[in-house]
Amino acid sequence: MLLGLLETGFPLFYWGNALMIVIGLGFIYLAIAKKMEPLLLVPIGFGMILVNLPLGGMMDYEMTLKAPQAGIVMEVPMHEGDAFEKGGVIYKLDTGEVTAPVFGRVDSLKVSQGQSVEKGQPLASLITMEQTNQAEVPTHPVGLFSRIFKFGVMWQILPPLMFLCLGALTDFGPMLANPKTMLLGAAAQFGVYLAFFLALIVGFSMTEAASIGIIGGAEGPTTIYVTSLLAPHIIGATAVACYSYMALVPIILPPVIRLLTTKEERGIYMKPSLRKVSKLEKILFPLITTIVVILIVPSSAPLIGCFMVGNLFNECGVTERLNKTAQTTFIDIITIFLTLAIGASMPAQIFLQSRTLLILILGVISFASAAAAGVILAKIMNLFLKEKINPMIGAAGVSAVPMSARVVQVMGQKENKQNFLLMHAMGPNVAGAIGAAIAGGVFLGILG
Amino acid sequence: MIDWGLAIKTAIGGFGLVFGILMLLWVSVELTRVVTEKIAGNKK
Repeated sequence: MLLGLLETGFPLFYWGNALMIVIGLGFIYLAIAKKMEPLLLVPIGFGMILVNLPLGGMMDYEMTLKAPQAGIVMEVPMHEGDAFEKGGVIYKLDTGEVTAPVFGRVDSLKVSQGQSVEKGQPLASLITMEQTNQAEVPTHPVGLFSRIFKFGVMWQILPPLMFLCLGALTDFGPMLANPKTMLLGAAAQFGVYLAFFLALIVGFSMTEAASIGIIGGAEGPTTIYVTSLLAPHIIGATAVACYSYMALVPIILPPVIRLLTTKEERGIYMKPSLRKVSKLEKILFPLITTIVVILIVPSSAPLIGCFMVGNLFNECGVTERLNKTAQTTFIDIITIFLTLAIGASMPAQIFLQSRTLLILILGVISFASAAAAGVILAKIMNLFLKEKINPMIGAAGVSAVPMSARVVQVMGQKENKQNFLLMHAMGPNVAGAIGAAIAGGVFLGILG
Repeated sequence: MIDWGLAIKTAIGGFGLVFGILMLLWVSVELTRVVTEKIAGNKK
């Protein structure tokens, strides 16, 4: 009796939802059992599960379907509650069909068969989970996660704030002690531009290609920020690719490093001690970087500005409360909002497309080529340096702070037990984060 | 239709800019080091 009154999700549940739930469970398994980026993969996985349970409404947006032209309603193929594909016919007028600009389900029908309608008259209220171009298909969020997504991600609030927290957690000391390693962080951005070109070749638009390319920057907030502005409809795929490959850095980087270096090169010893960097240098760096970078690339201001102000909280010594909050409570809150919203941006209808697979493939190419470029530049630098650097630290230019630096440390220890490369690898590592933010700003400046 | 001219400019210009800015920061870091060491030396 109750079932007659209760609308369950079963009629709208299909194999795609089941597959996405399995993928979400896989993320949670990797996080819990394998300890792979648990702070990211648990909420992303759970968000994926939630959004693939029909009628849960967590990621719903409402939109009004209007008559594109005047006419008389000849047929209404849809009923309230029916699901439809993108392009599905909602009304048939004597002057033509009225199709859905998104996938979703019918919330309410406002006109019936035989009625005449004017151009622009509201015909139906539709519910969708699709991120639309608001200028063409305006929607408004009605679910918990769609509100967080719209006002947090699409309004570009959460990614820069996440960058602020990462800035507070970052120690630029190793990079300031050995600033030539900045070049390795720059070289690693090659992966961004290679993936950008490959994405164009396989048929993505310019803005989509830029959003895919920036995955190679290996910075989650940068990827989300750039994609939300340039290609919001692929944000789920780019964010998942970026965060997944950041977690998979220990698997992606070693083969690339081994392929490009000899055993002798991997064993190059680097003195463990770095120059002591003064407090004044550490305070001046975020200030100088902010001014220099934003004057040259103004569109990088939200990312670089937040990254550097967070770092200044950490280094100036008089904002301990702000620093502590940014490093602990605030980053946790932002992480919860951001990752749940990203997980929830992956309903099966959007995620299970051949384009998603292409994005994932291009993402891994981007990561691998970024590591390769860093290693190759380190080898070139060794041709001119009296005191050789271990070329493996070039691979740490793939930001993913501090994962890639840790990978280099582990590989260095395997080759030479006396070698402690972590501090040396942190230089290109944090330079890579700055480089990725600049690369993202350049894309936004040109294509945004 | 892809504007390949713009794509090439974006990629080469972008990569060059990233490199250029990080080189500029490298120079600024070295300058900062020299100045701060001088200040510290004068104080002593």
